[in-house]
Amino acid sequence: MTSYSKEVIADLVSGTLPWPQTRRIMSAYKDDDRFFKYVAVLQERVGWKDPILLPVGDHLFICQSGDERVTKCECGHSFGDYRKNWKLKAAIIVRDTEESLREIYPNSDLPDPDWMEIREFICPQCGTLHEVESAAPGYPIVHDFEPDLEGFYRDWLGRPLEPLNKGG
Amino acid sequence: MLDKPASALRIRERLLESERLMEETGCYDGITELKLRNQDPLKFETLHTKLRAYCVSAREMARRISASPGVREVGEMVVAIYTSEGDAIALSNGIMVHVHTMSRFIKWMIRNGYEENPQIRDGDIFANNDAFIGTVQVPDVMDVVPIFHSGKLVGWAGAVCHELEAGGITPGGDVALAQERFTEGLFVCAEKVGENNELRRDYVIRCERNLRMPIYWVLDEKAKVASCIDMRESVKALIDEIGLDYWMQVSKEFIEEGRRAQLARTRQLTVPGIYRGHTFYGHVTKGKPGYQPLGDPDWLYNIPIEMEITTDGKIVMDFEGTQPWGYHSMNCTPAGMDGGMFVTLTQHMNFEGLVNDGAWMATELKLPHGTWTNPDNEMVATATSWALLLPAYGVFQRLLSRSFIARGFVEEAFVGQVNSPMIEMGGTSQYGTPFGMAHFECAAAGSGALAIKDGLDTAYVGWNPESDMGNIEIWEQNMPMLYIGRSIVPNSGGAGKYRGGCSFLSTWLVSKTDHLRLVTSEHSSRVFDNGGLCGGYPAPTCQKHRAVRHSNIFELAENGAPLAHHTGTNPYRSELEVRLEGEHVTMEGPYITAPHKTGDVFTHSYNGGGGYGDVLERDPVKTAWDVENGFLTKEAAEGIFGIVLDEDEEGFPVANLDATKRHRAEMRAKRLARAKPVSEWIAKERERVKTSDFAPEVKKMYARAIKLSARFARDFSTFWDVDAKSTLGVE
Repeated sequence: MTSYSKEVIADLVSGTLPWPQTRRIMSAYKDDDRFFKYVAVLQERVGWKDPILLPVGDHLFICQSGDERVTKCECGHSFGDYRKNWKLKAAIIVRDTEESLREIYPNSDLPDPDWMEIREFICPQCGTLHEVESAAPGYPIVHDFEPDLEGFYRDWLGRPLEPLNKGG
Repeated sequence: MLDKPASALRIRERLLESERLMEETGCYDGITELKLRNQDPLKFETLHTKLRAYCVSAREMARRISASPGVREVGEMVVAIYTSEGDAIALSNGIMVHVHTMSRFIKWMIRNGYEENPQIRDGDIFANNDAFIGTVQVPDVMDVVPIFHSGKLVGWAGAVCHELEAGGITPGGDVALAQERFTEGLFVCAEKVGENNELRRDYVIRCERNLRMPIYWVLDEKAKVASCIDMRESVKALIDEIGLDYWMQVSKEFIEEGRRAQLARTRQLTVPGIYRGHTFYGHVTKGKPGYQPLGDPDWLYNIPIEMEITTDGKIVMDFEGTQPWGYHSMNCTPAGMDGGMFVTLTQHMNFEGLVNDGAWMATELKLPHGTWTNPDNEMVATATSWALLLPAYGVFQRLLSRSFIARGFVEEAFVGQVNSPMIEMGGTSQYGTPFGMAHFECAAAGSGALAIKDGLDTAYVGWNPESDMGNIEIWEQNMPMLYIGRSIVPNSGGAGKYRGGCSFLSTWLVSKTDHLRLVTSEHSSRVFDNGGLCGGYPAPTCQKHRAVRHSNIFELAENGAPLAHHTGTNPYRSELEVRLEGEHVTMEGPYITAPHKTGDVFTHSYNGGGGYGDVLERDPVKTAWDVENGFLTKEAAEGIFGIVLDEDEEGFPVANLDATKRHRAEMRAKRLARAKPVSEWIAKERERVKTSDFAPEVKKMYARAIKLSARFARDFSTFWDVDAKSTLGVE
């Protein structure tokens, strides 16, 4: 069975693994023990102790925080219950004018702000830009991902999660 | 007529039986156990590898028969081998979207009584380019031949080429001006076009008399037939070797194994749950010549996708909430939607091992009736389906990628494909003859970023993973335009920790013709039709066209003065305007105008891909390299990415790491100061929503989505705490 060391996974995740080695990993059979090594790498990267249950973004994790499961930024800021849309608890910058769009698109044709805006969802604590939506004005904010966390741990990983005491 | 079907049943009854068995057992053709694989796995794998080799070899041979630079240079072709019921067993590389659309074509003939009339016999050749039977668009012409062994139908060999000219209302194949089926070009609707291994002369004459450039289509037909015959004979020889009974069983086990492999791959690479995303597409044609007043000249489409991955490993994609079909060329049939799903799966999940229709069977598409994904009117045009298909499956790639990131397979995460606008042309060639063609350098756009590296520059499109722009010299042989520039477009990839791949722009001089019609398609106006991921920005994809009529370029050349080779980086004054005199044209939306003449200059730009991750985390050293090589401008590096660049003694950019750190800290602080809580923004926006204070096209988009989809209406109402119907004035 294919397997890689935690150090290799850490370099792969951080984008520092040399390309020929990355390319070999891409072409090889996948390593079935990846998930828990990956989580261990990320756990060492964050500065807090709550166990990571599932990464859901580049710096965004579902973790066990006491009796709760919450979506957390890498800086430690909690966006609340993981079943709710974390974006609703974020800070936002909306680019809906030519001037603000031009800051990101300095030399191309721009979208029409009457037809489309850019929404940047930001951690209110550390300022990390977690997600960008381009949408028509008035389009509801999308809830990107609702993982079947219990099903994943139970049926695919064979390690059922402790039942949650609190409802969501 | 079939003398002796492979089973005791006729092929139509066999197809129905196969579908019933799948329904009852959940396994392809009722194969609940892979007996032959278990008996001798090595023989099993070797046989499948042989079949794949037959396909790859037949396609390469056919590419050398074709006269079309689309097929020869760019590889716009795929071939596959099917079971007698029409399910794909093995396929070549190339435009794999058509492996499943061809399956639909074969099944359509079987269901519609082709055994009786026009009969299915050894040596017959059937062709189709009708998307409601099984293809994506008119230029995708497919040919299949039955494979008989011992007097029985035992399979099919099929091939598809994308034709460069389809005889529609505008030249080329992706006929932008088609608003109904009747203007898309020459249709071949599941016809028997050849017998005894030879194309019928009357069919060839029909092609010759209804196409602007029949040499492409006709020679492609010969290339396809040659590849089909090649595969057919190889399969027959294989059956001689392994025996007919073994073939009939093993061909089906291959597909069942493909289905199981897809489910296992999903369980291995992803995380179960619900994933959501969306993109948009804008179309602007008001006042343009040729458009009949059938639908709205300007419109906006939303393309929301909800993807569910079940704990069984099944992927279900639901397009509920999207827009109705329209009088334009961008509608898609379920066959095209299937094809889009198939080509995406083959790139992202089935990159090794068995790939065939089994993978498609482990997925499900929910295509709401009456929408552009599943029109309830078979008269609609689908000539430029890719305009909406590519953005839609770009969303699919981002949804899949989020699951790869969650699972830890970051090296597979990919921000997705973008539309790569097409330019097509016709009129009088540089040889003085009538001509028409699609220019296929669009097959080399920039890709979305990966979660561990930048996207591919000028080397990717979703429909053909073997992306190639073709050689300039070959294109110049086929059109009355000469390249005066083919340049990377700086900042054309979406910004992010990893940027999207950059696109390129071509600049041409119209040469040796007094009648050149240029038409473009598949570019979104006024809205981005792609997206970023995990903080990355979309790539700039709302592009206008620029041309100069009656330019003074020959005079400049004679005087040795500088020419314009690209549009430059000033969005308010292009290099064409700086360098060339003449009538300057800037056009939004499809480029449909009066014919061009010798001395005119035209530019056409392709698209880059979306970015990944927070821009303020981009590697400064890599960025210096980007600036040095023209992928980013120095201003963008500093203004967007927060990277301060100095110059070394030779003038090359060098990252100033300390200054970058300080500058980024300032940018982050400014970002935080500028941002406000989402709850505050929602409260303010709600007032706008309540009064429906939107552009007419936006308002209409909401009204249509609300009317077609109870779920969209409910979600809109819940999110904004309004009554969607009364707010948007929906009856």
